[in-house]
Amino acid sequence: MLTPKGYSPDITELSVSAWFYRNRTIAGFDNPARSLYVSIRELVENSLDACEDERVLPEVSVRIRREGDSRDQDLIQSGPEIFELIVKDNGKGIKRNDIPILIGKMLTGTKFTLRQSRGTFGLGGSLALLYGQVTTQEPIEVVTGRRNESYGHRVVMRLDIETNQPHIIEEERIAKSPDESGTMVSFQLQGDWIRSKRRIIEYFSQTAIIVPHASLLLETPTGDVLKFDRLIDNLPIAPKEMKPHPRGIDVEMLKKMIGVTRAKDLKSFMKRSFQRIGISTAKEFLKYSQLESDRVPSSLHQNELVSMMNALASYKRFLPPSPKSLSPAGTSVLMAGVQRLSPDFAVFRQRAPNVYEGHPFIIETGIAYGGGLGAGVKIFRFANRIPLLYDERSDVSYRVVRDLNLKHYGLRQDDPIAFVVHICSTKIPYKTVGKEYLGDVDIVRREIELGFKECLRELSEKVRKRDRVHKQRMRETRLENYYQFMSESLSAVLEREISIKKLFSSVGDDDE
Amino acid sequence: MNDSNAEVIGRIDIVLETIAETIDEGAFPEIGYFGSSKKNVDYSDLEGYIPIEDTPPYIDGRKVESAKTIAGLVYGLTRFKEHLEQKMSMSLRDFYYMHKVKRVQDVLKIENQTETNRLINLCERIIKHKGTSIPREEFGVVSSPKGTFYGDVTLSDLSGKRLNCNAAGEYGWFISSRPFDVQIYDINIDAAIFVEKEAMARNLIELGLPEQMSVGVGSLFGQPGRNMRAWIRRLSDNEVPILVLADMSPWSLRIFSTIKSNSIELSNIRGLATPKARLIGLTTKDFWRKKGLLHGIEHSLETMSSSDIKCARQNQNIPAISQDETLRKENDVMLKKKRKGELEAFKAFGLPLSDLKHLYIKYLKTKAAANDVKLI
Repeated sequence: MLTPKGYSPDITELSVSAWFYRNRTIAGFDNPARSLYVSIRELVENSLDACEDERVLPEVSVRIRREGDSRDQDLIQSGPEIFELIVKDNGKGIKRNDIPILIGKMLTGTKFTLRQSRGTFGLGGSLALLYGQVTTQEPIEVVTGRRNESYGHRVVMRLDIETNQPHIIEEERIAKSPDESGTMVSFQLQGDWIRSKRRIIEYFSQTAIIVPHASLLLETPTGDVLKFDRLIDNLPIAPKEMKPHPRGIDVEMLKKMIGVTRAKDLKSFMKRSFQRIGISTAKEFLKYSQLESDRVPSSLHQNELVSMMNALASYKRFLPPSPKSLSPAGTSVLMAGVQRLSPDFAVFRQRAPNVYEGHPFIIETGIAYGGGLGAGVKIFRFANRIPLLYDERSDVSYRVVRDLNLKHYGLRQDDPIAFVVHICSTKIPYKTVGKEYLGDVDIVRREIELGFKECLRELSEKVRKRDRVHKQRMRETRLENYYQFMSESLSAVLEREISIKKLFSSVGDDDE
Repeated sequence: MNDSNAEVIGRIDIVLETIAETIDEGAFPEIGYFGSSKKNVDYSDLEGYIPIEDTPPYIDGRKVESAKTIAGLVYGLTRFKEHLEQKMSMSLRDFYYMHKVKRVQDVLKIENQTETNRLINLCERIIKHKGTSIPREEFGVVSSPKGTFYGDVTLSDLSGKRLNCNAAGEYGWFISSRPFDVQIYDINIDAAIFVEKEAMARNLIELGLPEQMSVGVGSLFGQPGRNMRAWIRRLSDNEVPILVLADMSPWSLRIFSTIKSNSIELSNIRGLATPKARLIGLTTKDFWRKKGLLHGIEHSLETMSSSDIKCARQNQNIPAISQDETLRKENDVMLKKKRKGELEAFKAFGLPLSDLKHLYIKYLKTKAAANDVKLI
């Protein structure tokens, strides 16, 4: 029981890394199978971000190697094993001095800007390395090089959890061509390949769909190579960093923003700190919230901050947040990516930007049909260009798909159909801390539903047209068969050749 | 038979040649046929059902299903031709099995006999001679013959043997499947009585009525087949008065109307209607009029079943019944009283057999006389 008498001597302050390690289940490191999957995923996403930031087409390769010889073991019965994980990209590389800070330390941002990004905490990669070190006690090796430099760096280091500081054990310069750039991280970790294999392969396959401009390569512990070559050569438009929207903040954030602002009065604080607010909107709002425009921001008391926050939440005349901070995949990119499933048809639609709790979001929906798709309805979910693989049935898009009446569109439940949904937002409406599925938010649900319905309308037209063409072809074949049969019967009975050549050389004209 | 075969083969050749030429010239065949439905058929009291051909429907060879029909037609005609040339007949079932030949089955994919029966029916509707359809029997397709005839009529059928119908077995002569081709040499009867039920016909023969009254007795075995109807017509064409003795039921009215007027379905086949045929009973007046011949056994009448009532209601829409005053009245009375009488009712008098014979004679004479036919 807590008492106001002071801290117990057993209580010590936790470093950021220690806190995260103790709560690693939040980020998905809860068992060896899932940890292996999450580690790969976090590092791949860091690599993709690094490449896209540098505006280069990503080439990311992942190699998972089993440590020690386990060929004689019963793989199904055996528990977790030690793996070496090597993730390599062609991103911008890391400056020598930044290596320990970026890779070996848990950092949280201090800039009050928003931008769509893949990461959930922005710390997943570091946590993966931390997890590896804790489970194997082995150090981490980083090899990195930057463009226009004639050498790169190899650094072997260890993380100190308690102090949140990296310790460099070994380092060297390595020669490289000035054209080369990129980073390779290798470390050991405890994992369970047998139980995570399916998920990891699924992750790669789906990532290849949503990031068709990347080349992805996965080498599994069994030596199999899964390779996805890039399908398109253009990068998505990078999202812009935007100031927060007044609707998308809380009191804590407001307090911090006021703490760092250089604005002399509230009206310029409003204008400088938030997006889509000009001087007149700022004045109107401050009048609405009964605060003086000329007041020095730092003079606000706690209760005034709370009432200002309430006013921010209830004021109706803010312009909606700008979608410039978003980077939707784009229908042509999705269309290219979905070709990995080799469907007969695919239709994609991008909905207009909308707003959820002060954050802009864009829904992109698509439906692929036939071809290489197996029978039955499948759903591919993506959020900020990462695939969501767990808890499909709890996801809002699953509910939307379940409630669609496919019959209205001339389709059936056992038709080969894949529904694809991509949401991009500065704040994805995840339902739980696991961040694997979208909550049932009305506005999001409506956007997904309308998107799917638009796609279905277009798809059904295509499917109907294909069926019509198919039927027409069938009809022509049958017609020809009947006349062939007639000509044979007639030739035999009349003892002369009766030909259908003339008849079917003009059949096209007749039908038209 | 040979002449008629040669003629039919000639007609088949013309059809096959026309189709072959059309295809060879690069055109899709279009084949007109006689469509039998109420709107294509007129009813006349004097002739029965008569086909009218204002705008005959046609099979358009550009359509897939029609092409299948024409392919079936061509194949069927080649089979008929071969059979006629070899002087062989075939049954409807035989014809169905001819479509199970692998190469035919693969193309036409015939699923059941209804389809092949329809094809034969179509042949009858397409191929005409002197303005009338050629019945399938002429193509050599015969169904199992049904019906017998006993009486002093000398003829020769397809067997080529000359025979007398009262010396051809206990029921008499088994009606040929092709009565059109039967040659009649001699007729020594004053009338021919066709009985719906085989048991009653046999009783009349056993009691010696044909000889005693100089009549022929035919047994319809229920709804008469095409062969029986054609035979009745042949006798009628030879000036033999035709009397039909049937139950008093809605079904029997249909039997009689088919004999008298043919059916809508087969209206394109001439020679199946006998407009001069007369219904001599059993009638509603026999039972319900005070002086009715069967008034004494009114109690023997059975209640009409729901299917009997349904049949009577449908009769109201059959032109040959609804437009015939006598038949319409019979149907209406039955529908009103919801009772029916059967030929076996005579047994309900409980008479000694010699008296029963007299009753039969009396009944037949009385009813024949009412229809202007005098029996000795």
